Amino acid sequence: MRFLGYLKRWPHFDRGAVRVWDRNLMAWLKYYKTSVLMNFGEPLMNLLALGFGLGAYVTKLNDLPFAEFIAPGLLASTAMMGVVYDTAFSGHSMLDRGVYESMVTGPLRVESITAGMFLWEASRSVLYGCTFLVVILVMGLVRSPLALLIPVLMVLAGLLFTGPSLFVAAWAKAEDQLFYYFTLVITPMFMFSGIFFPVENLPAAARWAIWLSPLYHVTNLSRALVLGRLHPGLWGDVLWLMVATIVLMPWPVTQMRRRLTA
Amino acid sequence: MTPEGIPSEAAVAARGLVKRYGSHTAVDHVDFTVDQGECFGFLGPNGAGKTSTMKMIYGRSSVSEGVLRVLGLNPDTQLSELKRCVGVVPQENNLDPDLTVWENLYLYARYFELPPEAAEERCHFVLDFVSLADKSGARVDELSGGMKRRLVIGRSLINSPRVLVLDEPTTGLDPHARHLVWQQLAALRTQGVTLLLTTHYMEEAARLCDRLVVMDQGRILAEGRPDRLVEEQVGTQVVELPEAGQVNPGLDLPQGAQELIRRTHRVGSSLFLFTDDNRTLLGELARANPELVSRALARPSTLEDVFLTLAGRGLEE
Ligand SMILES: Nc1ncnc2c1ncn2[C@@H]1O[C@H](COP(=O)(O)OP(=O)(O)O)[C@@H](O)[C@H]1O
Ligand SMILES: [Mg+2]
Repeated sequence: MRFLGYLKRWPHFDRGAVRVWDRNLMAWLKYYKTSVLMNFGEPLMNLLALGFGLGAYVTKLNDLPFAEFIAPGLLASTAMMGVVYDTAFSGHSMLDRGVYESMVTGPLRVESITAGMFLWEASRSVLYGCTFLVVILVMGLVRSPLALLIPVLMVLAGLLFTGPSLFVAAWAKAEDQLFYYFTLVITPMFMFSGIFFPVENLPAAARWAIWLSPLYHVTNLSRALVLGRLHPGLWGDVLWLMVATIVLMPWPVTQMRRRLTA
Repeated sequence: MTPEGIPSEAAVAARGLVKRYGSHTAVDHVDFTVDQGECFGFLGPNGAGKTSTMKMIYGRSSVSEGVLRVLGLNPDTQLSELKRCVGVVPQENNLDPDLTVWENLYLYARYFELPPEAAEERCHFVLDFVSLADKSGARVDELSGGMKRRLVIGRSLINSPRVLVLDEPTTGLDPHARHLVWQQLAALRTQGVTLLLTTHYMEEAARLCDRLVVMDQGRILAEGRPDRLVEEQVGTQVVELPEAGQVNPGLDLPQGAQELIRRTHRVGSSLFLFTDDNRTLLGELARANPELVSRALARPSTLEDVFLTLAGRGLEE
């Protein structure tokens, strides 16, 4: 019964959600230049410094040049970071500055607003993932036309990472509290998701812990698509991501409702 | 009449309406009926429960107990229909700070599913109505307090609402800005829009409202037309006697004066004598105690006096 109640709080992907998407686009077009710069500066630096700098010493990982090994993972983490930062920080500030409030004062419902955020962040995830893909393509790090499926993976990753991030945005009373999320969840996930080193040869306990990280599964799929190395185990990653996305989706609705209606 | 005893043509009606936040009761079994086309006021000090009542009416917050109907619609079960025909000016402006004046209005129109062209047309109309056409491209935080308020009023008209809820529309505005808002509300009233407004300015209530309720601590203390309320509750005029701490109205005032006094009220050392005939009362008092009367202030009574006598304190306290 509890579970049925949980599912009832599903976001409403209706026309109201599309209006929220419109609103975010309108606002984003005013500041996208700085936002894009912020989102790409760091991963590019990682790729250049680690991939080509460190890569000159670390010769091969899983038979791959180091840059080629980390590029698909950085693609996954760039999209994740874009989504997570934006959802947590601008979600929080939109709550603080009354943007969502203006929507519920009008005809929009909390369920539609939440759904609108999911749609918007999925779009950003696609944008970031694809831009990064073009960059590594130019650098000659893409090996397979399967990379054309990256946008699909980015939609799934965007939807997945929005849920918990929006929950945290609505849960945090002060912006400081968002740093718990980054320090305790996001940064460790970035470090231990098989982006920088293969996990196959780690002890079983470490592999299990890494298996719990959503970014690990996104990285696996991204690497498989960019390098064209498919194998049946990838279905496990797809399934993991789909189940997690669905289960986490209603999570922020209650918290948003708590903040916006009383 | 509906089964709950609500007239079916009422714009807004509440029976035994309650709002609780945890164990705190913010609105405590209130009843009121607002007719279509009238301007209905909720006068009361901070914390009276005005905002809580408004939020239930426009479906922002759930009804804890009792019956509430807005144009016959139940906010619990018919929220989408309700929101289509209600306009809202919330107590806090809550404009979208990332966007311009025009974008705020246009998006709002789109929230209501107006097609793009109709939305633009409506935005032009509304901007003219609230005299902000020249500010169309300005960012919201460049506007003065009065302009922001007018923009929020304009925004509330985007969906051509039949019922307009205004929560303290002029609080914090300077007198000039306040008069502009009053003019716009008067214009809306003549167009037949039902107005619900909360205020703690008795002048605003007296000037705009056809009928009003006086609220305090979640309850309705009195209801009626502003002029009648004053007449019924306290009398049309009042004599204020300052430094009258020692005066006991029942013992120290002459019989002739006592017959004219409808009600007395003490604020600190001042004594308020409510009456319908100031001049005769002053004459009676002067005959008995000329010194007391020399300091007296005679004036018409107001809604503030009504609140004062009913709640035992002022609206601004
Ligand atoms: N969201 C809320 N949670 C808890 N208490 C609230 C909330 N909103 C209002 N109250 C309390 O309810 C009472 C009535 O508040 P409100 O409706 O805002 O009155 P008014 O608008 O007349 O000033 C106050 O005591 C206020 O502190
Ligand atoms: Mg209020």
